[in-house]
Amino acid sequence: MKGPVETNPALEDDDAKLLAAYRRGDADALGRLVEKYKRPLFGFLSRFAANPGEADEWFQETWVRAIEHMNIFRQKNLPGWLFRIAHNLVIDAARRRKPDCSLDAPLPESGEPLADRIPAAALSPADEAAGRDLGRHIEAAAALLPVEQREVFWLRMDAGLPFKEIARIQRCSINTALARMQYALEKLRATLAPAYRELQETGP
Amino acid sequence: MNAKELEQLLLLEQSGELSPAQRRRLDAALAASPEARRLRDRLHRISAAIPAPAARPAPDAAARIAARLRQDQAPARAFRPAWKPALAAAAALALLVGVRTFHAPAPVSSESAAAAAEEEDWTDPLDAEFTELENLLLAISSGDSLEITEL
Repeated sequence: MKGPVETNPALEDDDAKLLAAYRRGDADALGRLVEKYKRPLFGFLSRFAANPGEADEWFQETWVRAIEHMNIFRQKNLPGWLFRIAHNLVIDAARRRKPDCSLDAPLPESGEPLADRIPAAALSPADEAAGRDLGRHIEAAAALLPVEQREVFWLRMDAGLPFKEIARIQRCSINTALARMQYALEKLRATLAPAYRELQETGP
Repeated sequence: MNAKELEQLLLLEQSGELSPAQRRRLDAALAASPEARRLRDRLHRISAAIPAPAARPAPDAAARIAARLRQDQAPARAFRPAWKPALAAAAALALLVGVRTFHAPAPVSSESAAAAAEEEDWTDPLDAEFTELENLLLAISSGDSLEITEL
Protein backbone atom coordinates (compact mmCIF):
# COMPACT_ATOMS: atom_id res chain seq x y z
CA MET A 1 0.00 0.00 0.00
CA LYS A 2 1.31 3.43 -0.89
CA GLY A 3 0.84 6.75 0.83
CA PRO A 4 -2.13 6.24 3.14
CA VAL A 5 -4.47 9.20 3.39
CA GLU A 6 -4.30 10.52 6.90
CA THR A 7 -7.53 11.70 8.47
CA ASN A 8 -6.39 12.58 11.96
CA PRO A 9 -7.57 15.79 13.61
CA ALA A 10 -4.21 17.56 13.32
CA LEU A 11 -4.21 17.23 9.56
CA GLU A 12 -7.84 18.30 9.39
CA ASP A 13 -6.83 21.45 11.28
CA ASP A 14 -4.08 22.00 8.76
CA ASP A 15 -6.56 21.59 5.90
CA ALA A 16 -8.97 24.01 7.56
CA LYS A 17 -6.21 26.61 7.90
CA LEU A 18 -5.21 26.23 4.26
CA LEU A 19 -8.84 26.51 3.14
CA ALA A 20 -9.33 29.62 5.25
CA ALA A 21 -6.15 31.12 3.81
CA TYR A 22 -7.35 30.38 0.28
CA ARG A 23 -10.66 32.10 0.98
CA ARG A 24 -8.76 35.13 2.22
CA GLY A 25 -7.09 35.31 -1.18
CA ASP A 26 -3.94 33.24 -0.67
CA ALA A 27 -3.77 31.34 -3.97
CA ASP A 28 -0.73 29.37 -2.78
CA ALA A 29 -2.84 27.77 -0.06
CA LEU A 30 -4.99 26.02 -2.65
CA GLY A 31 -1.84 24.88 -4.41
CA ARG A 32 -0.56 23.34 -1.18
CA LEU A 33 -3.85 21.48 -0.64
CA VAL A 34 -3.90 20.19 -4.21
CA GLU A 35 -0.28 19.08 -3.85
CA LYS A 36 -1.01 17.36 -0.55
CA TYR A 37 -3.76 15.11 -1.91
CA LYS A 38 -2.78 14.88 -5.57
CA ARG A 39 -1.12 11.46 -5.40
CA PRO A 40 -3.92 9.45 -3.76
CA LEU A 41 -6.74 11.38 -5.44
CA PHE A 42 -5.30 11.46 -8.95
CA GLY A 43 -4.08 7.89 -8.53
CA PHE A 44 -7.62 6.76 -7.69
CA LEU A 45 -9.18 8.70 -10.58
CA SER A 46 -6.61 7.46 -13.07
CA ARG A 47 -7.56 3.86 -12.24
CA PHE A 48 -11.04 4.54 -13.64
CA ALA A 49 -10.48 7.16 -16.33
CA ALA A 50 -10.38 6.15 -19.98
CA ASN A 51 -7.22 8.18 -20.54
CA PRO A 52 -4.90 10.65 -18.72
CA GLY A 53 -6.86 13.60 -20.11
CA GLU A 54 -10.08 12.34 -18.53
CA ALA A 55 -8.30 11.74 -15.21
CA ASP A 56 -6.99 15.31 -15.35
CA GLU A 57 -10.46 16.64 -16.09
CA TRP A 58 -11.99 14.64 -13.19
CA PHE A 59 -9.21 15.78 -10.87
CA GLN A 60 -10.00 19.43 -11.56
CA GLU A 61 -13.74 18.82 -11.37
CA THR A 62 -13.36 17.11 -7.99
CA TRP A 63 -11.48 20.06 -6.54
CA VAL A 64 -13.80 22.67 -8.03
CA ARG A 65 -16.89 20.91 -6.63
CA ALA A 66 -15.20 20.31 -3.28
CA ILE A 67 -14.23 23.95 -2.83
CA GLU A 68 -17.46 25.39 -4.20
CA HIS A 69 -19.64 23.27 -1.92
CA MET A 70 -17.39 23.26 1.11
CA ASN A 71 -19.30 25.98 2.94
CA ILE A 72 -22.69 24.39 2.51
CA PHE A 73 -21.98 21.20 4.38
CA ARG A 74 -20.53 20.09 7.65
CA GLN A 75 -17.37 18.69 6.11
CA LYS A 76 -14.67 17.99 8.63
CA ASN A 77 -12.68 15.51 6.63
CA LEU A 78 -11.31 16.97 3.40
CA PRO A 79 -9.90 13.74 1.91
CA GLY A 80 -13.17 11.93 2.66
CA TRP A 81 -15.09 14.75 0.94
CA LEU A 82 -12.73 14.72 -2.06
CA PHE A 83 -13.04 10.96 -2.50
CA ARG A 84 -16.82 11.10 -2.14
CA ILE A 85 -16.99 13.57 -5.04
CA ALA A 86 -14.47 11.50 -6.99
CA HIS A 87 -16.65 8.42 -6.37
CA ASN A 88 -19.68 10.26 -7.82
CA LEU A 89 -17.70 11.17 -10.94
CA VAL A 90 -16.49 7.60 -11.36
CA ILE A 91 -19.97 6.12 -10.91
CA ASP A 92 -21.54 8.65 -13.29
CA ALA A 93 -18.92 7.82 -15.91
CA ALA A 94 -19.45 4.07 -15.40
CA ARG A 95 -23.19 4.53 -15.99
CA ARG A 96 -22.60 6.51 -19.16
CA ARG A 97 -20.27 3.89 -20.55
CA LYS A 98 -21.08 0.37 -21.60
CA PRO A 99 -21.76 -2.06 -18.76
CA ASP A 100 -18.61 -3.09 -16.97
CA CYS A 101 -16.76 -6.03 -18.36
CA SER A 102 -16.73 -8.46 -15.46
CA LEU A 103 -14.22 -11.17 -14.66
CA ASP A 104 -17.16 -13.53 -14.26
CA ALA A 105 -18.71 -12.70 -17.61
CA PRO A 106 -18.57 -15.66 -19.99
CA LEU A 107 -16.75 -15.12 -23.25
CA PRO A 108 -19.15 -15.28 -26.20
CA GLU A 109 -17.04 -17.69 -28.22
CA SER A 110 -16.25 -20.26 -25.53
CA GLY A 111 -18.51 -19.52 -22.59
CA GLU A 112 -15.56 -19.69 -20.19
CA PRO A 113 -15.15 -16.91 -17.60
CA LEU A 114 -13.08 -13.97 -18.75
CA ALA A 115 -10.94 -14.35 -15.63
CA ASP A 116 -9.51 -17.55 -17.10
CA ARG A 117 -7.97 -15.58 -19.92
CA ILE A 118 -6.68 -12.51 -18.10
CA PRO A 119 -2.93 -13.05 -17.73
CA ALA A 120 -2.43 -13.80 -21.41
CA ALA A 121 -4.93 -11.25 -22.67
CA ALA A 122 -4.14 -8.28 -20.45
CA LEU A 123 -0.34 -8.28 -20.60
CA SER A 124 1.89 -7.72 -23.57
CA PRO A 125 4.31 -10.46 -24.66
CA ALA A 126 7.14 -8.31 -23.28
CA ASP A 127 5.44 -8.16 -19.91
CA GLU A 128 4.83 -11.87 -19.96
CA ALA A 129 8.45 -12.51 -20.86
CA ALA A 130 9.66 -10.22 -18.12
CA GLY A 131 7.44 -12.22 -15.77
CA ARG A 132 7.23 -11.91 -12.00
CA ASP A 133 5.74 -8.46 -12.30
CA LEU A 134 2.99 -9.13 -9.83
CA GLY A 135 2.03 -5.47 -9.54
CA ARG A 136 1.26 -5.21 -13.25
CA HIS A 137 -0.70 -8.44 -13.12
CA ILE A 138 -2.72 -7.02 -10.23
CA GLU A 139 -3.42 -3.78 -12.09
CA ALA A 140 -4.49 -5.63 -15.22
CA ALA A 141 -6.75 -8.01 -13.33
CA ALA A 142 -8.24 -5.31 -11.08
CA ALA A 143 -9.21 -3.27 -14.15
CA LEU A 144 -11.78 -5.96 -14.94
CA LEU A 145 -13.46 -6.09 -11.55
CA PRO A 146 -16.99 -4.67 -11.19
CA VAL A 147 -16.75 -0.96 -10.44
CA GLU A 148 -17.83 -1.18 -6.76
CA GLN A 149 -15.27 -3.88 -5.99
CA ARG A 150 -12.60 -2.05 -7.97
CA GLU A 151 -13.32 1.11 -6.00
CA VAL A 152 -12.98 -0.63 -2.65
CA PHE A 153 -9.80 -2.36 -3.79
CA TRP A 154 -8.05 0.83 -4.90
CA LEU A 155 -9.40 3.04 -2.10
CA ARG A 156 -8.00 0.56 0.38
CA MET A 157 -4.85 -0.74 -1.30
CA ASP A 158 -3.66 2.40 -3.03
CA ALA A 159 -5.27 5.42 -1.36
CA GLY A 160 -4.98 3.69 2.03
CA LEU A 161 -8.45 4.67 3.25
CA PRO A 162 -9.91 2.67 6.15
CA PHE A 163 -13.04 0.58 5.51
CA LYS A 164 -15.06 2.95 7.68
CA GLU A 165 -14.28 5.81 5.28
CA ILE A 166 -14.79 3.63 2.20
CA ALA A 167 -18.23 2.65 3.52
CA ARG A 168 -19.10 6.35 3.88
CA ILE A 169 -17.93 7.09 0.35
CA GLN A 170 -19.89 4.20 -1.17
CA ARG A 171 -22.86 4.83 1.15
CA CYS A 172 -22.94 1.25 2.34
CA SER A 173 -22.23 -0.61 5.57
CA ILE A 174 -18.68 -1.47 6.57
CA ASN A 175 -19.62 -5.15 6.16
CA THR A 176 -20.60 -4.51 2.55
CA ALA A 177 -17.33 -2.69 1.91
CA LEU A 178 -15.43 -5.61 3.46
CA ALA A 179 -17.41 -8.13 1.41
CA ARG A 180 -16.66 -6.20 -1.79
CA MET A 181 -12.97 -6.29 -0.91
CA GLN A 182 -13.16 -10.02 -0.29
CA TYR A 183 -14.91 -10.66 -3.62
CA ALA A 184 -12.23 -8.58 -5.33
CA LEU A 185 -9.42 -10.50 -3.63
CA GLU A 186 -11.04 -13.84 -4.42
CA LYS A 187 -11.24 -12.98 -8.11
CA LEU A 188 -7.74 -11.55 -8.15
CA ARG A 189 -6.36 -14.65 -6.45
CA ALA A 190 -7.94 -16.85 -9.09
CA THR A 191 -6.65 -14.63 -11.87
CA LEU A 192 -3.22 -14.26 -10.37
CA ALA A 193 -2.69 -17.92 -9.55
CA PRO A 194 -0.27 -18.46 -12.47
CA ALA A 195 1.73 -15.37 -11.53
CA TYR A 196 1.88 -16.52 -7.91
CA ARG A 197 3.07 -19.95 -8.90
CA GLU A 198 5.77 -18.46 -11.07
CA LEU A 199 6.78 -16.13 -8.28
CA GLN A 200 7.02 -18.96 -5.78
CA GLU A 201 8.91 -21.24 -8.13
CA THR A 202 11.51 -18.71 -9.24
CA GLY A 203 11.45 -16.12 -6.49
CA PRO A 204 14.10 -15.65 -3.80
CA MET B 1 -13.40 -19.07 12.89
CA ASN B 2 -14.00 -19.71 9.20
CA ALA B 3 -11.75 -18.51 6.38
CA LYS B 4 -14.02 -15.62 5.41
CA GLU B 5 -14.15 -14.30 8.95
CA LEU B 6 -10.38 -14.68 9.29
CA GLU B 7 -9.81 -12.71 6.10
CA GLN B 8 -12.12 -9.94 7.33
CA LEU B 9 -10.12 -9.65 10.54
CA LEU B 10 -6.85 -9.59 8.59
CA LEU B 11 -8.20 -6.84 6.35
CA LEU B 12 -9.31 -4.83 9.38
CA GLU B 13 -5.90 -5.41 10.94
CA GLN B 14 -4.21 -4.02 7.83
CA SER B 15 -6.43 -0.94 7.89
CA GLY B 16 -5.93 -0.42 11.64
CA GLU B 17 -9.62 -0.87 12.41
CA LEU B 18 -9.62 -3.93 14.67
CA SER B 19 -11.52 -3.61 17.92
CA PRO B 20 -9.77 -4.98 21.04
CA ALA B 21 -12.02 -8.06 21.01
CA GLN B 22 -11.29 -8.65 17.31
CA ARG B 23 -7.58 -8.19 18.02
CA ARG B 24 -7.69 -10.94 20.64
CA ARG B 25 -9.57 -13.31 18.33
CA LEU B 26 -7.16 -12.70 15.47
CA ASP B 27 -4.10 -13.15 17.68
CA ALA B 28 -5.49 -16.48 18.89
CA ALA B 29 -6.16 -17.62 15.32
CA LEU B 30 -2.69 -16.58 14.15
CA ALA B 31 -1.06 -18.35 17.08
CA ALA B 32 -2.99 -21.55 16.45
CA SER B 33 -3.04 -21.79 12.67
CA PRO B 34 -0.15 -21.82 10.17
CA GLU B 35 -2.76 -21.37 7.42
CA ALA B 36 -3.91 -18.14 9.07
CA ARG B 37 -0.33 -16.87 9.06
CA ARG B 38 0.07 -17.85 5.41
CA LEU B 39 -3.11 -15.94 4.53
CA ARG B 40 -1.77 -12.88 6.30
CA ASP B 41 1.51 -13.14 4.40
CA ARG B 42 -0.35 -13.38 1.11
CA LEU B 43 -2.39 -10.28 1.91
CA HIS B 44 0.78 -8.35 2.78
CA ARG B 45 2.38 -9.57 -0.40
CA ILE B 46 -0.46 -8.24 -2.54
CA SER B 47 -0.39 -4.91 -0.69
CA ALA B 48 3.35 -4.61 -1.14
CA ALA B 49 3.14 -5.42 -4.84
CA ILE B 50 0.67 -2.66 -5.70
CA PRO B 51 2.58 -0.22 -7.87
CA ALA B 52 2.09 3.50 -7.41
CA PRO B 53 0.09 4.88 -10.32
CA ALA B 54 2.39 6.23 -12.99
CA ALA B 55 0.02 9.02 -14.02
CA ARG B 56 0.38 12.45 -12.47
CA PRO B 57 -1.89 15.49 -12.74
CA ALA B 58 -0.80 18.24 -15.08
CA PRO B 59 1.86 20.48 -13.47
CA ASP B 60 -0.44 23.47 -13.72
CA ALA B 61 -3.44 21.60 -12.25
CA ALA B 62 -3.67 23.83 -9.17
CA ALA B 63 -3.52 26.99 -11.30
CA ARG B 64 -6.25 25.69 -13.59
CA ILE B 65 -8.43 24.72 -10.61
CA ALA B 66 -7.99 28.21 -9.16
CA ALA B 67 -8.86 29.76 -12.54
CA ARG B 68 -12.01 27.65 -12.82
CA LEU B 69 -13.06 28.60 -9.31
CA ARG B 70 -12.63 32.30 -10.14
CA GLN B 71 -14.50 31.80 -13.41
CA ASP B 72 -17.39 29.97 -11.72
CA GLN B 73 -17.79 32.59 -9.01
CA ALA B 74 -18.75 35.57 -11.18
CA PRO B 75 -21.42 33.93 -13.40
CA ALA B 76 -22.83 32.10 -10.41
CA ARG B 77 -23.49 35.42 -8.70
CA ALA B 78 -24.83 37.16 -11.81
CA PHE B 79 -27.03 34.44 -13.31
CA ARG B 80 -27.80 32.13 -10.47
CA PRO B 81 -31.21 30.61 -11.23
CA ALA B 82 -33.64 31.41 -8.47
CA TRP B 83 -35.19 27.93 -8.51
CA LYS B 84 -31.99 26.12 -7.60
CA PRO B 85 -31.55 27.38 -4.05
CA ALA B 86 -35.29 27.11 -3.52
CA LEU B 87 -35.30 23.52 -4.77
CA ALA B 88 -32.28 22.66 -2.65
CA ALA B 89 -33.91 24.17 0.43
CA ALA B 90 -37.17 22.31 -0.24
CA ALA B 91 -35.30 19.05 -0.75
CA ALA B 92 -33.32 19.60 2.44
CA LEU B 93 -36.48 20.32 4.40
CA ALA B 94 -38.31 17.31 2.96
CA LEU B 95 -35.39 15.01 3.69
CA LEU B 96 -34.92 16.29 7.20
CA VAL B 97 -38.62 15.91 7.94
CA GLY B 98 -38.44 12.40 6.50
CA VAL B 99 -35.37 11.56 8.56
CA ARG B 100 -36.95 12.80 11.75
CA THR B 101 -40.24 11.02 11.06
CA PHE B 102 -38.53 7.75 10.23
CA HIS B 103 -35.84 7.70 12.88
CA ALA B 104 -37.31 9.58 15.80
CA PRO B 105 -40.81 8.78 17.04
CA ALA B 106 -40.58 11.53 19.65
CA PRO B 107 -39.89 15.15 18.67
CA VAL B 108 -36.18 15.84 18.46
CA SER B 109 -34.70 19.25 19.05
CA SER B 110 -32.50 20.73 16.37
CA GLU B 111 -29.61 20.76 18.86
CA SER B 112 -29.86 17.05 19.59
CA ALA B 113 -30.24 16.22 15.89
CA ALA B 114 -27.17 18.27 15.11
CA ALA B 115 -25.28 16.61 17.94
CA ALA B 116 -26.27 13.19 16.63
CA ALA B 117 -25.15 14.15 13.16
CA GLU B 118 -21.82 15.26 14.51
CA GLU B 119 -21.09 11.83 15.93
CA GLU B 120 -18.48 9.96 14.01
CA ASP B 121 -20.10 6.54 14.36
CA TRP B 122 -20.48 5.26 10.80
CA THR B 123 -23.38 3.04 11.80
CA ASP B 124 -25.52 6.00 12.79
CA PRO B 125 -28.52 5.95 10.39
CA LEU B 126 -28.99 9.69 10.82
CA ASP B 127 -25.47 10.21 9.57
CA ALA B 128 -26.23 8.09 6.52
CA GLU B 129 -29.28 10.23 5.79
CA PHE B 130 -27.21 13.39 6.07
CA THR B 131 -24.80 11.87 3.58
CA GLU B 132 -27.69 11.37 1.17
CA LEU B 133 -28.75 14.95 1.77
CA GLU B 134 -25.28 16.20 0.98
CA ASN B 135 -25.18 14.21 -2.23
CA LEU B 136 -28.65 15.35 -3.26
CA LEU B 137 -27.74 18.98 -2.77
CA LEU B 138 -24.48 18.47 -4.63
CA ALA B 139 -26.31 16.76 -7.49
CA ILE B 140 -28.90 19.54 -7.70
CA SER B 141 -26.28 22.22 -7.86
CA SER B 142 -23.99 20.39 -10.29
CA GLY B 143 -26.67 18.94 -12.58
CA ASP B 144 -25.47 15.33 -12.12
CA SER B 145 -27.64 12.26 -12.38
CA LEU B 146 -27.09 11.10 -8.84
CA GLU B 147 -29.05 8.07 -7.69
CA ILE B 148 -30.81 8.66 -4.40
CA THR B 149 -31.00 5.50 -2.39
CA GLU B 150 -32.33 4.44 1.00
CA LEU B 151 -35.02 7.11 1.15
